Amino acid sequence: MNDFGTGTQTVVLVLFTTLVTLTLLMCVMAGPERDDLTNFYTGYRSLTPLKNGLAIAGDYISAATVLSTTGIIALAGYDGYVLAVSTALSLVLLMFLLAEPLRNAGSFTMGDVLARNMPGRATRIASCAVTLSATLPFLVVQLSGAGSLLTFILGIPHLAGARTTCIVLVGSLMIIYAALGGMRGTALIQMIKIVLLLGTSGTVAVLVLNRFDWSPDDVLRAAQHGSGAGPAFFQQGLQLGTSALDRLDFASLQITVILGAACLPHITMRLYSARDVPAVRRSMSWAVGTVTTFCLLVIIMGTGAAALVGSRYITAADPHGRTSVLMLSRALGGGTGSVGTTVLYAAMAGTVFITLLSSVAGMTLAAASSLAHDLFAHAVRRGRAAPRTEMTVAAWTSVAVGTVAIALSTLAQDWDVAVLTTLSICIGASAVAPALTYSLFWRGFTRTGLLASLYGGAACALVLMVFSKAVSGTPSAVFPNADFGWFPMQSTGLVSVPFGYLAGWLGSRLEHRRRAADGLETRRLYEESEARLLAAAE
Amino acid sequence: MTLPDDTPYPPPPPALSGWPQPHAEPYAQAPRRESHGRDPRQAPYGHDIPQDSPYGYDVFSYEPYEPYGQAARREPSPPETDRHGGDLAALRSAYRVLRRVSTLTALGSFVVYVVLSCCAPDLMGSKITGELSLGMALGVLQLVVTFAAVLWYGRSAQRSVDPLARAVRERAVRRPAQEAGVAR
Repeated sequence: MNDFGTGTQTVVLVLFTTLVTLTLLMCVMAGPERDDLTNFYTGYRSLTPLKNGLAIAGDYISAATVLSTTGIIALAGYDGYVLAVSTALSLVLLMFLLAEPLRNAGSFTMGDVLARNMPGRATRIASCAVTLSATLPFLVVQLSGAGSLLTFILGIPHLAGARTTCIVLVGSLMIIYAALGGMRGTALIQMIKIVLLLGTSGTVAVLVLNRFDWSPDDVLRAAQHGSGAGPAFFQQGLQLGTSALDRLDFASLQITVILGAACLPHITMRLYSARDVPAVRRSMSWAVGTVTTFCLLVIIMGTGAAALVGSRYITAADPHGRTSVLMLSRALGGGTGSVGTTVLYAAMAGTVFITLLSSVAGMTLAAASSLAHDLFAHAVRRGRAAPRTEMTVAAWTSVAVGTVAIALSTLAQDWDVAVLTTLSICIGASAVAPALTYSLFWRGFTRTGLLASLYGGAACALVLMVFSKAVSGTPSAVFPNADFGWFPMQSTGLVSVPFGYLAGWLGSRLEHRRRAADGLETRRLYEESEARLLAAAE
Repeated sequence: MTLPDDTPYPPPPPALSGWPQPHAEPYAQAPRRESHGRDPRQAPYGHDIPQDSPYGYDVFSYEPYEPYGQAARREPSPPETDRHGGDLAALRSAYRVLRRVSTLTALGSFVVYVVLSCCAPDLMGSKITGELSLGMALGVLQLVVTFAAVLWYGRSAQRSVDPLARAVRERAVRRPAQEAGVAR
């Protein structure tokens, strides 16, 4: 697969080792004291807005975003462009709608935000369950991809043993980052990663444009030619098809992404570590700026991959095109074995590797924090756990979440599990987004409504996903040979997002009617906490 | 805890010199109290507070201890409360306007873009200059406009929301100052 000399591989390997050593060292040094919860979960809120913004952007741009979006652009053109736009705008929406009240309402996890006016174990357990169901699929898809990605980068033959070793290796590193580093340690890695990512992507984009003498027309013409699709490359429909249902499916997927991608718990968790409202606004400005710049670069890189590598070679290496960015950097450097190729390829491989590591570490930390803070400290111990105990539990839950993720990824490595990314985003849009928007902006929201939107939205997304076209019945599905699907779409947002909102509304109305006292109590708590929600006043 | 920022923001108001220091306590400490500071403190104080204590306004009173009548607690200083409520209402509506305008613009433009892409592929595929089609140009334009939108949002929020938020916060800090001192 990987046809260049041992020289390049040695450079890549040395680079990987250096990156791992350096980041581990920094992570441990930045790690929290053993009994300081605030430090572990939020890093004392001492990061400047620029640093926090870079960390948010780092958490937001996962390895799946980098690799899949470039691949989709390279293979499907226009559909990929729309995806890049929706990815960037999702963070904008988070900034405009949720970021400031979320910062004021929360302290460590999503459970804190929701339990603010609906205290109790049920709220905590539900928010932990939804956090896990939204982060675990994303984690598994990236870890299981890590196996084939690393064997591709390092040129190891595609053997199950080699891939499993890679998954376990990446998984163990991820556990160490999350457990030892806490919020502050992972923030540091996210910052390094985003700077590296912007640097390499910028270089690659400049080289692509330079190759075509800075003429966008030439790039686009070459991309049309390289994709083999002709003018259709710049029209919607290559990714999912052009029938009316396929177009509806496409629109539904894009709107799910814009609603759900930025609501995922590992991203909202970064907001709590901003010091105050102006700081969170500035952090988000930096994050949005970074992510938008990156999305523009991704558009150039994806088009460049179609133009310079060609869809035939890209699909031969990976049907989803996830290796296209690596193949592009190899194609740009000059001939095989040249210094340019070695440097550029090694830089891109190192960036992808650190992106992968940091994004899985961020997700592990979010899942582990929710388990330790919501489930253990508040649901099991009813808020009476000592900080030191909670810290220890948080470290061990990182290990537990990581181990489960490694096990699932090893099992899933031979399947095409890209659908799990969609599942995560659908759960984000249909369970997390309704619960957060209602809880922050609607005083009539009650506990029944909250549980209905959290469990209902997540269950609806999960069930529809299992019976969707993406899981069975089509050649590109997870089970191409079986057909038990009845939901004729690739993503579930069109149904599950309205369902999540409706469930929350109906549940609240029902509780107001059946148990008016509880509903009024929740409303009173909302009004009492409103000054804190809007102004951070006590 | 509140390290000096590399780029102070917003400019320190004249009344509060050295802004994120002592006066910013509600910001810096709010969530910590809410989390694990709650239990040791609320056991002793939560139940013993007289009903007319301004402490009752504190946010972490959401712990499910007996709901003393809300009205009784509001009684002690009606004029202050009214003004506080007025400030809060102004802040609420300012936030609402800002939120609605910005969110609907961002979401609306994207939904229109996606719907056009799906329903009018010929229109979006029409070339405007060279090989660049209308759909691609609009997509890239949205990304570029994002930078301006974020700047605009920051400016508007600083102008319309921040002064009101500061007023609400100052009042909340001033009112329970003595009581909070005891509680702390």
